[in-house]
Amino acid sequence: MLGEILNTYYLQIGSFILINIMLAISVYVPLSSGQLSLGSAGFMGVGAYTSALLTIHFDLPIFVGVIAGALAASILGVIVGIPSLRLSGVYLAIATLGLGEVIRVIFVNWDSLTKGSVGLTGIPQLGREILEFSRGLGFEPAMIGIRNNQFVFLSIFLVLLILVIAILWFVIRQQNSRVGRALQSINMDDRAAESMGINITHYKVVAFTQGAFFAGLAGALFAHVIGYISPADFSYHRAVEVLIFTVFGGSEVIIGSVFGAFFLTLMPEVLRFVSEFRYIIYGILLVVLMAVRPQGILDANLLKKFKFKRSKGGVR
Amino acid sequence: MLKLTNVETFYGQIQALKGIDLEVNEGKIITLLGANGAGKSTTMKTIAGLLKPKNGSVEFNGENVTGLRPDQLLRKGISLVPEGRAILTSMTVLENLEMGAYQRNDKDVRNDIEDVMQRFPILKERQTQMAGTLSGGQQQMLAIARALLSKPKLLLLDEPSMGLAPLIVADIFKIIKEINEAGTTVLLVEQNAKQALKIADYGYVMETGKIIIEGSAQSLLEDPRVVEAYLGRKSTS
Repeated sequence: MLGEILNTYYLQIGSFILINIMLAISVYVPLSSGQLSLGSAGFMGVGAYTSALLTIHFDLPIFVGVIAGALAASILGVIVGIPSLRLSGVYLAIATLGLGEVIRVIFVNWDSLTKGSVGLTGIPQLGREILEFSRGLGFEPAMIGIRNNQFVFLSIFLVLLILVIAILWFVIRQQNSRVGRALQSINMDDRAAESMGINITHYKVVAFTQGAFFAGLAGALFAHVIGYISPADFSYHRAVEVLIFTVFGGSEVIIGSVFGAFFLTLMPEVLRFVSEFRYIIYGILLVVLMAVRPQGILDANLLKKFKFKRSKGGVR
Repeated sequence: MLKLTNVETFYGQIQALKGIDLEVNEGKIITLLGANGAGKSTTMKTIAGLLKPKNGSVEFNGENVTGLRPDQLLRKGISLVPEGRAILTSMTVLENLEMGAYQRNDKDVRNDIEDVMQRFPILKERQTQMAGTLSGGQQQMLAIARALLSKPKLLLLDEPSMGLAPLIVADIFKIIKEINEAGTTVLLVEQNAKQALKIADYGYVMETGKIIIEGSAQSLLEDPRVVEAYLGRKSTS
């Protein structure tokens, strides 16, 4: 019965949505401290290549590779984050965009390691590895009535879902903590924040590095979901796409990033029936949104209204 | 309590402070006067750690604190209310006050917030409102109240009267006086020399990065140079 419901195509779209949510959060977190970083494609690439190379050449388990990829991206985040403190607004955006391009060019030209623009193939696939592992424990997908193929896509989806929930839990908790308050104050007025005794250097680097970590994590997972990566996957198109998720959904609240990534990943799929017109519709939608709701679809006020309505309904 | 010796601060190549010597004694109100661009705010920022002096030393309670970070200085008891009421506009009044106690983790914070709201009843009334919706004078009061919640030994006020109506200015100065009487030492930067000298014990006058006149508030009020340049009337004597 389960075998009939599970459609691998839907599961794969679901997995892409989840990866894109991670990427959107990687833009959201630095932005919540007033830092507009367009480096997510670059950090994603570092995570992807690190994990892919480690698992291909050293036969490491995927989860070790993914952790290493995310850490490599965060280390780069610290290295770049500290000098970038002197930059703000568009200047930081340009610098991080430049960083992403530098990383991409390194991937293209470091032939011996990255195979240049051809890209890396034969990256161990997350779903397959989980399948092997389950078989080792004596489990067969047929036992719950699904095909191997379905099991592979389902396991990827579930792993990603758990990770996204964990990341959301972490970020939301952090927002309601001392750290979150510090980041908000820096975003509103860094001078005021500094005079209240908030070490703005420290918190800005923390936020920037967290962004790099989430992007690196998403990149590493991307590599093991797709099984093939090339420098073109991490070009500035990707950086802009990820930024649009956050800006479209609403950059003031984290749920905005989630919504943006969800909606904008799903839309081209849903619009398949209008085939070549779908990117035109996508473009028009963005232009209209920026004109009508520059703060994004969701913002704090809108959410408050929802909550208010709901609690009023509850009383009745 | 606070002692600056030959402090020189630069903005890149430009020297904003050209050897400042200044002393603040415990329990007093000291005022720093001067025209725009004289270096008053730069002096304050240097004391609070927002700028690092190139030469000279800053001593606080006998300890050399030159070049420490703002958060370290706040922990030692120096709190700055920056120029232009730097409040957190999209947090509520209460949240702003809580942020003032950011570095504290003692149990008295709630009590102290209550105390501060007693002193500024308007803040209690507006506590759930966004700080950005307050009037200019209320925002300034919030900025001062917030600074008080870090329990400073020395309160640095950078032009608290800027852009406020005369009646509100009088209120603010009254509050500064009260804060001082409650035991906090105050260093006050002002353009409104007359008001500042009325409540201050001692004053310094700055011009182009140097201190040119200093003396008791009374003597400055009578000093013909101060009278002519900053109090806006011809010297009568």
